[in-house]
Amino acid sequence: MIEILSSFKEETKRNSFIARIGAISISRIKMTLNYKSSYLMVLVLNITIVFMYFFFGKLNPDMEIFGLNATYFEYCIIGLCLQMIVGTSLGTANGNINNEIASGTWSSLFLQFNFLEYSIGTTAAGVFLSSFSILIVLSIAFLIGNFAFSITFQEVLLILLIFILILASHMVISMLFTSFTIFYQKDSGLVSLIYQLTKTFSGILFPIALLSGFPLFISNSLPFTYGLETLHMILFSDSIQWKLLAYNCSILLGMITVIGIIAYVLVFLSLKNVKKNGKVDWY
Amino acid sequence: MIFHEYLRTVVREFKQREQNTKFLEGFLAIFRRNFRIIWQYKFSIIMGFVTNLIIFSLFFYVALLVPEMQISQDNYIVDSVSFIFAGVILVEISTRTLSRSLNSFTSEMKQGTFETLVTLPFGLKRYFISEIAFEMFYGVFISIIYFIPILFIYPAFKSVSISIESIFALLLVSFCCILIFFSLSLIAANFTILVKRGREISMVIIGIISLLSGSLFPLSMFPKWLQIIAQFSPITLAVRAFRLCMFGNGTITDSIVWISIIVLISSAVFFYIIFHFSYKRIYNRIRQTGTTHEF
Repeated sequence: MIEILSSFKEETKRNSFIARIGAISISRIKMTLNYKSSYLMVLVLNITIVFMYFFFGKLNPDMEIFGLNATYFEYCIIGLCLQMIVGTSLGTANGNINNEIASGTWSSLFLQFNFLEYSIGTTAAGVFLSSFSILIVLSIAFLIGNFAFSITFQEVLLILLIFILILASHMVISMLFTSFTIFYQKDSGLVSLIYQLTKTFSGILFPIALLSGFPLFISNSLPFTYGLETLHMILFSDSIQWKLLAYNCSILLGMITVIGIIAYVLVFLSLKNVKKNGKVDWY
Repeated sequence: MIFHEYLRTVVREFKQREQNTKFLEGFLAIFRRNFRIIWQYKFSIIMGFVTNLIIFSLFFYVALLVPEMQISQDNYIVDSVSFIFAGVILVEISTRTLSRSLNSFTSEMKQGTFETLVTLPFGLKRYFISEIAFEMFYGVFISIIYFIPILFIYPAFKSVSISIESIFALLLVSFCCILIFFSLSLIAANFTILVKRGREISMVIIGIISLLSGSLFPLSMFPKWLQIIAQFSPITLAVRAFRLCMFGNGTITDSIVWISIIVLISSAVFFYIIFHFSYKRIYNRIRQTGTTHEF
């Protein structure tokens, strides 16, 4: 009896929330590594973009980056690197469900589907692989633009916190649009639109101080604007502005909670609908 | 005996029909099919406009980082916003053919319909030419539709006065630039059937071309070695000629303009010849390895 109970406990441990997420992540990483050529080509593209703005920064070395003690290249490389994480977090959950539906694996996955585990597992795998691209891009930035920082342990922890908040806030947006994908069995195309808006209006390549009117409203509605502003502040200000940090983190946490709850409810309803109407494997 | 005769007749007719698949008929059929697909996804036309507007907003605000800067090149002086807009417009319009064509082939491969295209009597090579030609025509048409409102929103060229001769030269340079991307798309299509990563291939080619073209900054920003490499990219010359026509009233008699036209046309022909000779080899290879439909 004791033996049975202990083996059951062991089995439960193996099937814990973290273990299942780990299993999803590892399988996704393995799958992505089967497409090495794709990964390398995207890396080449990212490096090309970094070079492009490196030379643009040379157009005026005294370019004013509103209120920040940084050159243009130092300013934009942070956003360009994190843009890869944003793209991955935004595209993964929705894109993978869309692929599962298109390739016909959705009906088998659907039987033991835990949406939260699936989203976290696949996004973590994508971000893990994107992080290598970031490391390579930062190394190149160090070589070509003498891009280097000395930061304290406290700043490292804060950067990690912001990194997780950025990742989670974009993952929940992806989860929100997944409900549409599950319901209609097709991609809404809105994820790529949000990605384009984020690339343009969240202050990656120019400070949002240049914006006014409707573009500023869009900028303020994007979670990456708050994450990037905080990161710039941590890296380029002489001291940490705790008030700004607390404000931006609260906004990001608020977005994660509100969008996350709405996404979860909508996905639940979509799943219920497709089950009821027998549209699980229909494409 | 009668049966064998009948069989021979059927095979002969089939072979004849295969040989008689006229290029123009297939070409028009692909055009009709693609228009129907676009009509089914009308919403994507609006999304395309919004995406274009966002992309140009990005370049507009990036240019505002250097608002007072006057850029001097080829005997004309122009403000940074106009300079960047002119370069980006040419690169955006011309690269559209490449990205749309390769996206289309990648989609066919992902959906599993590519295998059918390979075995059609019309032939894969003719399909490539027709599909890319459609994307070229549609790309130019949709670009005009998109850019008119965008240029009203961001009046980057409001202070530009341009003569009729310069407009003619400008259109000729643009046409040649689009032509070179037609040939480049054919070569890229060859690589796509070999390595199956059309979307990524187009992204990398467009990224490198954009960097080397000097659309965002004058080439003098590059180190000497990169300036030399950039001169080998035909698009670099095209962007330079395009800007000269727009801001310096350049005409076809200007050396930069006519040299760029000759280079673009000869490069387009050269790329087409490469496509023509490499196609058969690559096609045979995917048939031998049995990777026609693999993605």
